Amino acid sequence: MRMSLTVNGRLYERAVPEYRTLLELLRDDLGLTGTKEGCGAGECGACTVFLNDQTVNSCMVLAAEADGASVETIEGEASAGELSSIQAAFARHQAVQCGYCTGGMIMAIRELLANNPKPSVAEIKDGIEGNFCRCTGYQQIIEAVLDASGQLTPATKGELKHV
Amino acid sequence: MTQIFKYRAPVSRAELFDLVSDHDGVRLLAGGTDLLVDIRNGFARPEMVVNLKHVAGYGDISWSPADGLAIGAAITINEVLRSAAIREHYPLLAACAHDLASYQIRNRATVVGNVVNASPCSDMAPGLLCLQARAVIASKRGERVVAFNDFFTGVKKTVLQRDEVLERIIVPPDTAAARGGYRKLKRIKGHDLGIIGVAVFKKDGVVRLGISSAAPTPLLVEGLTEDDPADIVVAAAHGAIHPISDVRCSADYRAHMVDTYTRRLLEEVA
Repeated sequence: MRMSLTVNGRLYERAVPEYRTLLELLRDDLGLTGTKEGCGAGECGACTVFLNDQTVNSCMVLAAEADGASVETIEGEASAGELSSIQAAFARHQAVQCGYCTGGMIMAIRELLANNPKPSVAEIKDGIEGNFCRCTGYQQIIEAVLDASGQLTPATKGELKHV
Repeated sequence: MTQIFKYRAPVSRAELFDLVSDHDGVRLLAGGTDLLVDIRNGFARPEMVVNLKHVAGYGDISWSPADGLAIGAAITINEVLRSAAIREHYPLLAACAHDLASYQIRNRATVVGNVVNASPCSDMAPGLLCLQARAVIASKRGERVVAFNDFFTGVKKTVLQRDEVLERIIVPPDTAAARGGYRKLKRIKGHDLGIIGVAVFKKDGVVRLGISSAAPTPLLVEGLTEDDPADIVVAAAHGAIHPISDVRCSADYRAHMVDTYTRRLLEEVA
């Protein structure tokens, strides 16, 4: 089928098979490989993107369902060469090791902070429950979210051993 | 995707009913969070996938004191959680929705999909059973209404016929404002399939339990009152469940945790 969608503000028109997933469309047809496939079953969250302003697992959405939609991926997170505040906080706190989960993780955190600008540690854990990290460690990711949301003070930093 | 299939997105009920009655091998797509995984793994082999999300009326939630609540087939779990009417009048339903999978999945997964798949570990079924919800089922042949207590017939099996669509779920007004709670035992803090789930409902002296992952279907336990001591309620739960041992835990542990969660919820739901 012929379809069109906007990804990170750019309009794409493609002929795609009806059985294509949104993840396959992004990676294989559009070359946007920042979105990763981990489990392919909605467990790991590595494929998280925004579809019409809501985070979804793009491995569990058909490309056809995104016809006419607006999609945002990790490639749209930095603007004009400047890291977003979440990306910068990830870099400061070394919340990236292999980086495989990072794209999806940052999408989930952007959604979390849009709904809840000052999340508690418990709320951060709930917000990223659909995103698995298998190497960096959640500690640094949680610290980065506290920092990106302006909550990391010398006073609270001492408590982070216990998050 | 690992398989080839056709895709249709009807916008009217008539078009939808024609598609499902005229074609073999149709699978309906609501949220897709179960179906697309089943297709990927080869458990489902549809010739055609029919998306319900654009059918007129399927994206509606309505509430009135006279008619109660109606949840359309395309309503997602997060839409349930954002519905002021559901949070106010059916907090037990919101509690079940909150425990279902992860945020991203709740943005796609639907209430109707969660019950139609008829998994023993459905999170929405315990709440819907306690609230005496009913399924409005339609096809080219007409419409029928089935109580959820009669809806599930086995593991992944329901009363739905090949050409039928569960169009909406209705929850009667007389279970509105019930007190309730849901507890789900999982292996990890994050999202996971339930090891067991227990919902407790209390209103006007009546107590009901909804139990998941402890029998081939989600279960309703009725005939209890707020005057019954916890031992009686737990005995009724144990009389209803038929847990199995599997990769996630033993049957004995499931029975034990049904006991534990029932007692905790009876105290928490004051």
